Amino acid sequence: MKLIEFSGDHLDVLRELMNIAVGNATASIADLLKAFGTMHIPKITISDITGLKQYIQDTIPSENSHYVTKQLFGGPLGGEFIFVITDESAINLGNHLYDIDAPNDADIYDAVIELTNILSATMISRLTEELNVKVQFFVPSTQIIKGNDLIDLDEAQGYVQVIIISTQMEFQNQNINGHIFILTKDAMIQSLKDLIDQKLEELYA
Amino acid sequence: MTKLVDYPNILLDALEHGVMIVDEEFNVVYWNQWLEINTAHSYASMVGKSLLTFYPDIDYRTLQRKIRTTLRLNSPTFYDASLNNRFIPIPRNKITSSVLNTMQLQVTISPYVVEQRMVMIAVYDISDLHELKLKLQQQMKKIAQLNVELQHDKQIIDDNLLIVKTDGDFHIIEVSKAFNAFFGFKENELIGWPLQIIYSDKTPLSEYTHMKKTLQDLERWSGEIEILSKQSKALWMDAVVTPWIDHLGILSSYTAIYHDITDKKRLELLATTDPLTKLYNRYRFDEIFDITLMREHWKTGDSFALVIADIDHFKQINDAYGHQRGDEVLVCIAEVLRHTLREGDTLARWGGEEFIFLLPHVDARRAILVAEKLRVAVEQLNLFVNVQLSFGVSLFVAGDTQETLLNRADTALYKAKENGRNKVELL
Repeated sequence: MKLIEFSGDHLDVLRELMNIAVGNATASIADLLKAFGTMHIPKITISDITGLKQYIQDTIPSENSHYVTKQLFGGPLGGEFIFVITDESAINLGNHLYDIDAPNDADIYDAVIELTNILSATMISRLTEELNVKVQFFVPSTQIIKGNDLIDLDEAQGYVQVIIISTQMEFQNQNINGHIFILTKDAMIQSLKDLIDQKLEELYA
Repeated sequence: MTKLVDYPNILLDALEHGVMIVDEEFNVVYWNQWLEINTAHSYASMVGKSLLTFYPDIDYRTLQRKIRTTLRLNSPTFYDASLNNRFIPIPRNKITSSVLNTMQLQVTISPYVVEQRMVMIAVYDISDLHELKLKLQQQMKKIAQLNVELQHDKQIIDDNLLIVKTDGDFHIIEVSKAFNAFFGFKENELIGWPLQIIYSDKTPLSEYTHMKKTLQDLERWSGEIEILSKQSKALWMDAVVTPWIDHLGILSSYTAIYHDITDKKRLELLATTDPLTKLYNRYRFDEIFDITLMREHWKTGDSFALVIADIDHFKQINDAYGHQRGDEVLVCIAEVLRHTLREGDTLARWGGEEFIFLLPHVDARRAILVAEKLRVAVEQLNLFVNVQLSFGVSLFVAGDTQETLLNRADTALYKAKENGRNKVELL
């Protein structure tokens, strides 16, 4: 399969759109969860599946256990939204949302899902809104993973190319840190490129 | 007048999952048929009332936050469905399994009429899936426990049993820690070498060949074998070697388990050898004769010979040079006889200056030839005195016992002495 190439213009537009999306997400979290923090400028990388595994291993510390929430989104732009948060941050999040000293497992899982909902809805919705398309969100699922082995190469077959959009969020008062990965692959990359082309035409019209 | 059909409500009632429409204050606006049936609360009893009235125990703070998020983002929010259900309890009537008494729900809160602050809450019964997941988790837990036990057992085996694993060509691929420690090898030092490297040259080639043949026929081999430590110390081992057949019936490896029997062998040696000449004693010879050879030859019909040899004029040697020098002669003759014999032949000290031999797989001509070879070997010994042996040979025939064979060999020996000594006679 021929690899899809992104020009500098494509990447600039995508970066700009993601900056807007990240700003949107920060504001939504402040409003809905009463947590004030910052999100880093997203990094955009085009890779193969092995590169993705390596990228995640380089980004996520290997010594912690992590709550990893994955949520699929579908439509003209489809992919996978992954939110990774250390178990310590997840407990702090449960504390914050449920206002109790010792949140139980169900509280923590639900809190993580809730934060993921807000992050995915704001970031993806904002991105797709800018690209004039609609997406459908699927039910997210969370699992605890020891270390940073998030990608199973045996299971992740059929990926030729993947776009990684990653950022980090920090809520210092609540001591909550997380990593966000937005992944899209093959045909969806072409679709994203076409949508950015349309956006560029719009901008230069 | 045509009655207006309420298509959206018909659609909601036709769904195979629960749907309710509520506002931000939890007031129910719609309660579909699936919920009516499964919660036993009717549409009429729910609509216009607050969920709080019917379900006071659920976490309304969380629900309110999720509804607000849905309305604010105009995007669906979800409850986590991986642990216990946190939304309204709905009884479950499954009889054949009782893991869940209430349904495990997957809950999606979607924007409905945002301007009126209303959301649609869809509940899906995922109890079967959840049950399977719980069962799978239980099984995984059991597997994990078994793995821990297995690792523990493996550790005990590795630390305590002398085990060597080879590939199908008898090249060593794995050695237990205990084996390495016992024989003084470093970890991985033996890996890749042929198995034969650990066996001493005292192990007869025929034994080794027999072992290989048995294993290649995919049968278990057991026997006694001498192994050399790294410091070249020979240790006797009781060995059991088993071919390992994979699920396709193909040989994949061999596993040898050894047990140290050096002390047992030492005692056995004391009980079965003559202390002076180190040859087998009479007891051991009888044992070999009775148990092994007689049985084998009755089976196969093969023939074998019994040979008795006596040192000519040994009394004169003792009288002339003393018993100590006489013993030296006995030791030297024993040594030369041992080295002249064929592999598989048995030699023992029969008593005094007599030796006895068992020569398997021979006919009369061959038996005489072997005895002649032995006679010449002794004759050519360069000792302080000339020594010679007389030989009596008897060949096994059907119906023979040890006694009859011995009698004939004795008579033949007598004949050899009569005929001038240093001779071989057959009877």
